[in-house]
Amino acid sequence: MIGSRRVLLISGVLMICAWTLVPIYLVALGGVGGASTIYAWPKPFWPASLSIGNFTAFLQIEGIWAAMLRSVEVAVLCMILSLLLGAPAGYALARFAFRGANLYRLMILMTRAFPVGILALPLAVSFVRLGIYDTVFGVALMHTALALPFAVLVTASLFVGIPRELEEAAWVFGCSGPGAFRRVVMPLAIPGIAATAIFAFVISWNEVFAASVLTVRNKTLTADLLTLLSEAPLQSQLAGGLLLILPSVLFIFFVRRYLFALWGVASR
Amino acid sequence: MADIRIESVTKYYGSQAALRGVSLDVHNGEFVALLGPSGCGKTTLLRAVAGLDRQTNGRIEIGGRDVSDLPPRSRGLAMVFQNYAVFPHLRVRDNIAFGLLMTGTAKDRIERQVARAAALMHIEALLDRYPVQLSGGQRQRVAVARALAVEPAVLLMDEPLSNLDALLRLEMRTELKAVLASARTTTLYVTHDQTEAMGLADRIAIMHEGRIEQIGSPLEIYRQPKSIFVGGFIGNPPMNFLRLPVSGSVVRLGTLILNPPAGINGPVMLGIRPEDLEVAETGAGFAFRVHVPEPLGPHILLTGDVEGQSMRVAVAPDRVMQPGDVVMLRPNTARLSWMNPDTGLALENS
Repeated sequence: MIGSRRVLLISGVLMICAWTLVPIYLVALGGVGGASTIYAWPKPFWPASLSIGNFTAFLQIEGIWAAMLRSVEVAVLCMILSLLLGAPAGYALARFAFRGANLYRLMILMTRAFPVGILALPLAVSFVRLGIYDTVFGVALMHTALALPFAVLVTASLFVGIPRELEEAAWVFGCSGPGAFRRVVMPLAIPGIAATAIFAFVISWNEVFAASVLTVRNKTLTADLLTLLSEAPLQSQLAGGLLLILPSVLFIFFVRRYLFALWGVASR
Repeated sequence: MADIRIESVTKYYGSQAALRGVSLDVHNGEFVALLGPSGCGKTTLLRAVAGLDRQTNGRIEIGGRDVSDLPPRSRGLAMVFQNYAVFPHLRVRDNIAFGLLMTGTAKDRIERQVARAAALMHIEALLDRYPVQLSGGQRQRVAVARALAVEPAVLLMDEPLSNLDALLRLEMRTELKAVLASARTTTLYVTHDQTEAMGLADRIAIMHEGRIEQIGSPLEIYRQPKSIFVGGFIGNPPMNFLRLPVSGSVVRLGTLILNPPAGINGPVMLGIRPEDLEVAETGAGFAFRVHVPEPLGPHILLTGDVEGQSMRVAVAPDRVMQPGDVVMLRPNTARLSWMNPDTGLALENS
């Protein structure tokens, strides 16, 4: 007999899956199915005719590869910067009791309280002055600002989960402070660090607004598509959308094993 | 091999004193246990010796070298932690080799040392496993092996057996004593378990509220407690204390006439261990009213009162006792402790 708790659990899981998968499914259906499938009602489960014409057409749009490359560059840069700045801050929050630690924690979250729209215009002006307007670095910097709060808070909880005694044992057995971090804390934190990196990457990859405002010629893929596809037919839009989803999904797929505890300690 | 010299070490957390001036010498090759209730400062003292916490004042020397300001790695010591602190991402082999690797020991020597430490702790079969595949007892063995492998001058242990179940604890205790005795490593051992301290240590330092209350051999501490606290802390059940008046330089208890140290006026505290009392069939003694008899096997533990003051007595198991029974008791007068009831300190037995 199946208990009611189990029914509840299963229906919950199904709902969450449907919530994410149905839109992706519809996008995919439109992307590969062509115009007839898009406007058909009720929707067929499987498109009448499979074609990759939408994709090839999409990939032949001028500058799309360059934009994609830029997107990857921005996302990777954002990932690196978020970790370089976020992980030490997270470590400090986790290990040291200092005056204003809670305020600091709150302030980090508060950075997300300002809508990007309000920040983007003054930022564009500042970026022009600094000479980083319309550059990969500029956009990466903006995206780092968006990803950093998560990087700090996630790594902080990660480091809290690594027993202090392990670090102390490393000190006693011959490690300096940085040495203990590298030999003991880091290997244990890798799964969580990887998760944080993915998060930063995805935030950057998906971000449209700031990227659009801060660039003119050197647009990232999302920003480029926003301008390009607004005039394109719906099936091209859907094909583009599907291609945008793919890298994030693939990236998460390949590093997903790091998301789960490797040695049963780090992300307990 | 080295001695440890702790000189008037204090430690304050804000205005909260954790150590109020502790001095202690641990001789070369000696095993000293720091024993006390939780919050007495024993772990704080150990961590100061390890260099994990900086003392507020005072000096710590290891092997004649002032290490007060040195980081843990430069102090030439090894430590066994309460939660083992075995590195989860390293195999047992690499865990044991960790300290040696850090000091740049040659590879073949590391291998020899690891094999030797593993053999001592009987974990040769586990060398290629990860800690997550080990039981608590096995992890503890790895932690001890890791500490022994570096052949430290000084070994620090922070309640290493407290997370093991009772049977395993007894087994590890015996084994640890044998291993450490053959290694002759200077050892400072923190515990709140008096049986552990009594069984393992050459000397025990009893700590209370940030001070060392008494230091001596296990038997010395048991037989001649220097304060009411020590008498009441050591022994299971602890020492009995009776508050009695002194009149004409003698103390009367029932028909007994006892001689406290000379020159005492007013009341004294008389300390008697439960097993230092015997039933007095004839002759002088005092009346003890039994409240609860507990037959424990080797002896019967009686809880009751003497002239309204509660007392515990361990008597031979060959007699039947009922609640309400009154028996005459007589103490072994060579084993009495006299304390000042105001200061709580022992009176000199002249």
